[in-house]
Amino acid sequence: MGLNYYNILKSVREARKLVIKGTTAAGSGHPGGSFSMAEIMGCMYYKFLRYDPKDPLWQDRDRLVLSKGHASPGLFSNLAVAGYFDKLEMETLRKFGSRLQGHPDFKCPGVEFCGGSLGLGLSFSIGMALAARIDGKTHHIYTIIGDGESDEGQVWEAAMAGSKFRLDNLTVFLDRNFIQQDDYTERVMPLDEELVGDDISEMWKNAARWKVGDKWRSFGWNVIEIDGHRIEQIVKAVHSALQTRGTPSLIVARTIKGKSVEHMEDNPKWHGVAPNPKISPIIELELDCQFLIAPSIIAGDMSNLENEVKRAVHGRADFIHLDVMDGQFVPNKTFDHEKIKQLRPITYIPFDTHLMISEPVKHVRDYVNAGSDIITVHAEVCDEPSFGEIHDILRSNDVGLGLAINPETELPPWTEKFIPDLDQLIIMSVVPGKSGQKYIESTHEKTQRISKLLAERNFQGLIEADGGVDLSNVESCFLDGARVFVGGSAIVGQKDVRLTIMEFRKHLMHARRKLLINKTHSLGGQELVNQWIDLHEVGKKKTELLQIVKEAGFT
Amino acid sequence: MTEFADMRTVYGETLVNIGDENPSVVVVGADTTDSLKTKQFGKKFPNRFFNVGIAEGNLITIAAGLANEGKTPFASTYAAFLPGRCVDQIRNAIAYPTRNGKNGLNVKMVVSHGGLSVGADGGSHQQIEDIAIMRAIPNIKVLIPADTIAVEKLTRLISQLYGPFYMRMTRSKTPIIHSQEQEFQLGKGIVLHDGSDCTIAACGIMVQMALDAAYALKQEGISCKVIDMFSIKPIDSDLLEKAARETGGIVTCEEHNIMAGFGSAVSEVTSEKYPVPIRLIGSRDQFGESARDSEISRLFEKHGMTSIHISNAVKDIRSKK
Repeated sequence: MGLNYYNILKSVREARKLVIKGTTAAGSGHPGGSFSMAEIMGCMYYKFLRYDPKDPLWQDRDRLVLSKGHASPGLFSNLAVAGYFDKLEMETLRKFGSRLQGHPDFKCPGVEFCGGSLGLGLSFSIGMALAARIDGKTHHIYTIIGDGESDEGQVWEAAMAGSKFRLDNLTVFLDRNFIQQDDYTERVMPLDEELVGDDISEMWKNAARWKVGDKWRSFGWNVIEIDGHRIEQIVKAVHSALQTRGTPSLIVARTIKGKSVEHMEDNPKWHGVAPNPKISPIIELELDCQFLIAPSIIAGDMSNLENEVKRAVHGRADFIHLDVMDGQFVPNKTFDHEKIKQLRPITYIPFDTHLMISEPVKHVRDYVNAGSDIITVHAEVCDEPSFGEIHDILRSNDVGLGLAINPETELPPWTEKFIPDLDQLIIMSVVPGKSGQKYIESTHEKTQRISKLLAERNFQGLIEADGGVDLSNVESCFLDGARVFVGGSAIVGQKDVRLTIMEFRKHLMHARRKLLINKTHSLGGQELVNQWIDLHEVGKKKTELLQIVKEAGFT
Repeated sequence: MTEFADMRTVYGETLVNIGDENPSVVVVGADTTDSLKTKQFGKKFPNRFFNVGIAEGNLITIAAGLANEGKTPFASTYAAFLPGRCVDQIRNAIAYPTRNGKNGLNVKMVVSHGGLSVGADGGSHQQIEDIAIMRAIPNIKVLIPADTIAVEKLTRLISQLYGPFYMRMTRSKTPIIHSQEQEFQLGKGIVLHDGSDCTIAACGIMVQMALDAAYALKQEGISCKVIDMFSIKPIDSDLLEKAARETGGIVTCEEHNIMAGFGSAVSEVTSEKYPVPIRLIGSRDQFGESARDSEISRLFEKHGMTSIHISNAVKDIRSKK
């Protein structure tokens, strides 16, 4: 089974947009804490939870208790995406007569706990878990608590009780976003260590200062510590929690408040403020502009691919891009599914398998079984029935569905019906077959054209730029519409993969900011641009944005 | 000779009996399970008994989680801590959650050591605010039994009725007032003694004092109607209105602050339905203090809560009519 990565990613993005829609319409609400737990919610609703939106109180459903109830928009939005109610209902958030109250409430189908008063959800979950045990039920209870919420003494009463009653049917996420209403948590009431200075990122960098996991360990819990925005880490942690016997599990998910919207990220101000309606469209575009880096390991030492995967993992790659060549569809041969199977245990990072092989429909199952999370096949060697078959195989195994086209190929007409459901489209910018080629310039125009076309056809996935992508052209590729970037010799071929990936991200961030400034200018001229830039209070963001404005010549 | 019996013992025995009949019943305690006599339920049904330690907020919220899953939890400790310690949890985890027309979660909060009669433990442990607290929270029903017959019948009753209940018992042994055949209905007062000159409405251990006062007044030719108003919320407003019409005045008796307590509840009804003079017997906005069992009558004396005070209040009302 794959991670179901793209389905989670797309749903999380949609849910984030609904949070913006809801809080904007309400004029109040808590976007910050909704976004810090967005990926956790995504993994819950689109990977782990067993539920039936048509029968919200189905007895054997898994329960998700949102104890940090102020993040209710983050819950409601996922209930809408999961099918409990119409997405349009998000616009009734916090309004008179709405089922979507300011805090989670049984009025809304799918809500398992009336949150709001902090510190109660874990105790409530313990009651649920005890009841499940009495009844011999096998469903699981998941609870999300906040770090500010952990100031409440009752959280620790519950921590003792969960341990005493050996509740292995209970898994708790601590959304560790380091911010509470007044200020940074480490200033208000340290959970790790008192924060010295203003730089919140200091807490992230130095694992030696993290103490909250030790607190829970000393209470007898199985503690797992992860980056709470990385889907594969969440999935791995939950798998491990579900296998643990005799103790409940606590997943410390280190997160960023306001994650995915630059001006909200790490800014305590966005704990409980709704976006300005004028700014909301820019935020929605920003949510569409998230990008991913996929190092292609064949650009490294082919005799030690294990090490290349490890370098990519160390570099915090988003995907591991695996180029499979069969010596028929392309002249070269690289490796096949047996190799992928050997590489799989090294990491949970999604395997982005690019099949440059003939008759992929005959082999795709092997690549599913080898542990791919996304599988891309070439349009040149598929037709409607075979791609339909591939679609079904991948979907039933939680594997992402990708289609690739060579530089000389246009999207064949038969692909049209698959576009809304397609996860990834690789637009090759070199003739496939070997690493180290130069980017074909006409691909820019081609990507722009296809990107526009796909948007008109309700494409929800991402365009992946593959071939000759490097630091000199990655920004243009982004502006063309690509969102996933395969880096062969430009990343894996470099000495320091980690630094190179950071450099890629910097360039992409620059391109994204440029795009957003342009969009903002077209929406509201210089005044709106200034208003938007002023929101970027944390760190050096504002100065950097002003520099881009200067470059763009708007002033 | 009046027979006395222990409320907690009867409560514990009743729980065991109910536990046999109703597998949904579970019991949650907070390090007072020996004192509350719920421990015997735990001996008989170890899988349905949870001691969460000295953590009343946790006690209440775990009970709420159990109720959410279809259990009928009885959560018990001393009144000083429940509701004293955990009003927020009672309000938000038990009273507030409402779905499919069921108001609040099905938790039974049954406590002991209500009021001044706690005695030696002192003012910190003498809960005289619980009626006010619990009455003010929507969806919660409030019961104060006067004797062990009431304890047994009401424990059974609330195990069968849906919704959050608060029931307050007394630390010390109480005289048996009701007969075994007495029926208890939610929201219905019980007329123990009929009379025409004045009504004395009481709850809990004050019912016996009300009867004592009525007996003394009878010797002086004053005829009092005495009502056991064990159901404080919902309250029997029909019976109170009728009593107001028939007797023209009411004296209320509670082991509680007169502010926002039982007397206030009676006044709310009569002031709207049939205003008559009312006198409230109870603690007058003052904390209690330590008193050994032999001294508790002096503590009540100090707070103006004896049968003589009740008699005087009746006479005062009659003089105003």
